[in-house]
Amino acid sequence: MQMNDSQRIPAPKEKVWAALNDPDVLKQCIPGCQSLEMSSPNEMTATVVLKVGPVKATFGGKVTLSDRDPPNSYRISGEGSGGIAGFAKGGATVRLASDGPEATILTYEVDARIGGKLAQLGGRLIDSTARKLASQFFASFGEAVGHVAVTGV
Amino acid sequence: MNDMTPTREQRTAALEGLGCKRKRVEDIRFTQGKGNYVDDVKLPGMLHGDFVRSPHAHARVKSIDDSEALKVPGVLAVITAETLKTVNLAWMPTLAGDVQMVLADGKVLFQNQEVAFVVATDRYAADDGINKVKVEYEPLPPLIDPFKAMDADAPVLREDLAGKTTGAHGPRKHHNHIFEWTVGDKELTDAAFKKAEVTIKEMISYHRTHPSPLETCQCVCSFDKIKGELTIWGTFQAPHVIRTVVALIAKLPEQKIHVISPDIGGGFGNKVGAYPGYICAAVASIVTGKPVKWVEDRIENLTATSFARDYHMTTEIAATKQGKVTGLRVHVLADHGAFDACADPSKWPAGFFNIVTGSYDFPTAHLAVDGIYTNKAPGGVAYRCSFRVTEAAYCIERAMDILAQKLGMDPAELRLKNFIRPEQFPYHSALGWEYDSGDYGTAMRKAMETVKYAELRKEQEALRAAFKRGETREIMGIGVSFFTEIVGAGPSKNCDILGIAMFDSCEIRMHPTGAGIARMGTKSQGQGHETTWAQIIATEIGIPADNIMVEEGNTDTAPYGLGTYGSRSTPVAGAAIAMAARKIKAKAQMIAAYKLEVHEDDLEWDIDGFRVKGLPEKFMSMKDICWAAYNSVPPGMEPGLEAVSYYDPPNMTYPFGAYICVMTIDVDTGVYKVRRFYALDDCGTRINPMIIEGQVHGGLTEAFAIAMGQEIRYDAEGNVVTGSFMDFFMPTAVETPHWETDFTVTPSPHHPIGAKGVGESPNVGGVPAFSNAVNDAFSFLGSTHIQMPHDFWRNWQAAKNLGVFEAA
Repeated sequence: MQMNDSQRIPAPKEKVWAALNDPDVLKQCIPGCQSLEMSSPNEMTATVVLKVGPVKATFGGKVTLSDRDPPNSYRISGEGSGGIAGFAKGGATVRLASDGPEATILTYEVDARIGGKLAQLGGRLIDSTARKLASQFFASFGEAVGHVAVTGV
Repeated sequence: MNDMTPTREQRTAALEGLGCKRKRVEDIRFTQGKGNYVDDVKLPGMLHGDFVRSPHAHARVKSIDDSEALKVPGVLAVITAETLKTVNLAWMPTLAGDVQMVLADGKVLFQNQEVAFVVATDRYAADDGINKVKVEYEPLPPLIDPFKAMDADAPVLREDLAGKTTGAHGPRKHHNHIFEWTVGDKELTDAAFKKAEVTIKEMISYHRTHPSPLETCQCVCSFDKIKGELTIWGTFQAPHVIRTVVALIAKLPEQKIHVISPDIGGGFGNKVGAYPGYICAAVASIVTGKPVKWVEDRIENLTATSFARDYHMTTEIAATKQGKVTGLRVHVLADHGAFDACADPSKWPAGFFNIVTGSYDFPTAHLAVDGIYTNKAPGGVAYRCSFRVTEAAYCIERAMDILAQKLGMDPAELRLKNFIRPEQFPYHSALGWEYDSGDYGTAMRKAMETVKYAELRKEQEALRAAFKRGETREIMGIGVSFFTEIVGAGPSKNCDILGIAMFDSCEIRMHPTGAGIARMGTKSQGQGHETTWAQIIATEIGIPADNIMVEEGNTDTAPYGLGTYGSRSTPVAGAAIAMAARKIKAKAQMIAAYKLEVHEDDLEWDIDGFRVKGLPEKFMSMKDICWAAYNSVPPGMEPGLEAVSYYDPPNMTYPFGAYICVMTIDVDTGVYKVRRFYALDDCGTRINPMIIEGQVHGGLTEAFAIAMGQEIRYDAEGNVVTGSFMDFFMPTAVETPHWETDFTVTPSPHHPIGAKGVGESPNVGGVPAFSNAVNDAFSFLGSTHIQMPHDFWRNWQAAKNLGVFEAA
């Protein structure tokens, strides 16, 4: 499954970049995130509760940051297992571009793979759920960074 | 005779024998919720087992940690492949000569494969335990597309077969190859194609689907440590075969294994095989000394126990310009999933797919089938059909339509032109079968007349013209299908399961008061055996069907039989009943002769007893003979009246039929409407017309499901995306069209009562009728073949691909 979208965030690029690398901001913004801890500069461990249709599961896994080009782009990827609910793995390439001095356009390309019960039962709901989760994340992220609601571009 | 003496008609009617629309006796308990199914078996101290299953289609199992699971209250044991290895049961043999993991041994090869078996005091605790078993996987690249299975760089699925260049059915060409099976004369067929004036070639896929009985697979195993006896209640279509398989693989003496199939809520082929659940429940019972129940849930049934079809058939026909077929060439890529667990007679790796020449007089044909492994669930069972017969019928019936389209001929006319003619029976087909009897032209013409075929074609022509003028967005299809089935497996000369010939059996025991019990080697899963078997006996020996009790499914009391599937019960066991009844009748005749003080040759049979020829008043009813059998038999004769027959059929039977489906499709939405469905079946002698009609209704409904949407679909990762009834099409009364049924009667010449079997014909003939209707609807827009299933979305897609939205 793949998704592409972009958001305009009313904050300077450097501020957005800093937030993208701040575990506390990420924890606050990732929907269902129970914990997120930095284990090395490029690695975090996370626990996320995810609900797709009739399946709800707690996923434990690793989040890795790579291809870092501060303050322009990075790739955030993760994989986690939700026990009998299945597994999820995926990542996003995030790019930042200034839109004047006080705003940033954030572009993301997400690819994700899921398996197990989640895929079997939630199959028809996965795309819409993923889109909802992404928009929730960026809405929270915009608020956290720019203290205002973000708008789509 | 006074007025009270019943007439011959009344006496015949009182028997409720052959041809009577007798009400189903089993329905008295089924309609009152008094059936006794496996899940109704509740034993003191019974434990429950449930599986940890793989979320991955292909992965290495790095570790299994059950320590947390064992702390869950109620969880008693977690069984893994390592546990099973101690009793040499980590792998089990399949019916197809392969081996299959009972629990994941080092690797998982399909999603939802069984990894560990949690045993607990109740099902809830078992489920909680499953959640706590930690399995560490290392995902491997999944192989889902069968057409990539034999690529040089395809992942190796079966590491256990490394270096094995020969399988159960000959040489293996590739690490994911199972077998190649060829039939027919290749040289002659190739020559026919070289000379052909017209040829067609099409890759026709019959998608993966599932028998999906409403009652899932389940069992209760109870091991008695003191007696060393294992009792298994299970949803088994073939209980005796299960007993023998258990004896062979568990090394238990066969007399100490008791297999009981109680009432079964539908099988459709899904309940023929042996599954890991049975083995694990048995082992768990032996280990704990307590009864263990295992009941599949819906998702488990759809994703793990035997699927059906997944045949990809590249089909070529050679013909003359006038439409006479001269050759048939078929190559099948058969996707068997992770293990070859097909339930076919042992010598037939592709079942009876070589019936693919269908109802037509092909002078020559050649067939090659390549079986391959993929990361999908194992199986390949005969879902409401004889072994791979639906695949064959779909293949040839679709191909005949494609040929008709190429020739510009009417598809019904093309069929009539190529039918095997009545005088050619017994007919030897180019691929090796001997068809017993048939009158195809009569059946086809009757079907065409009933639906007013010529008028339908005119209507279709007018509608097509209107469509082209832009006056309507509806298209109309007329699907014609004429199928020949091959059922009643089968003769011992070519049919066996694990070395046991595919006979079937019946034991009849008559009681003194003119009642009796018939015990069978078959097992009804809803077919109505308790009703129909008694009817055969009623006509044969003149005892009312109501006085005959039919008992099936207990291996301790029933004579050995190969079970019920592949429409074999009537052709094989039905014959055994007639033969056993005739043995009873022969002894009865001797008793009657003695009592009436005549020579037995002086007696003639008269509906319900024997009469002295020429002396109509000297008569002894069968009821009285039963009594006499227990007190005054002729000197030297043993008392009692019972008989057993093990019937080895001399040939298969070949039911046939003509089906016509009329359908309209809205091109803008893909929504179809079945306007009319007419099904004419010829199953030889008709035992109970009401049961036949019920069977045809059920079979057509399943055919409708399969053709129009029912599918086990995998995504590229190997996830089953149709693993519940939310996504797997299960038609209800809302979606199901009205069925019109009809018949002709061409008895089987070699069957004692001329019956051929019917339960599966409607699925065999129904699927091509629906698919041909959809294809016929779209054909004038330039398509030759649209793959099944034809759900709304795919119909819309077909319309889109044919460019109907561009002009609009």
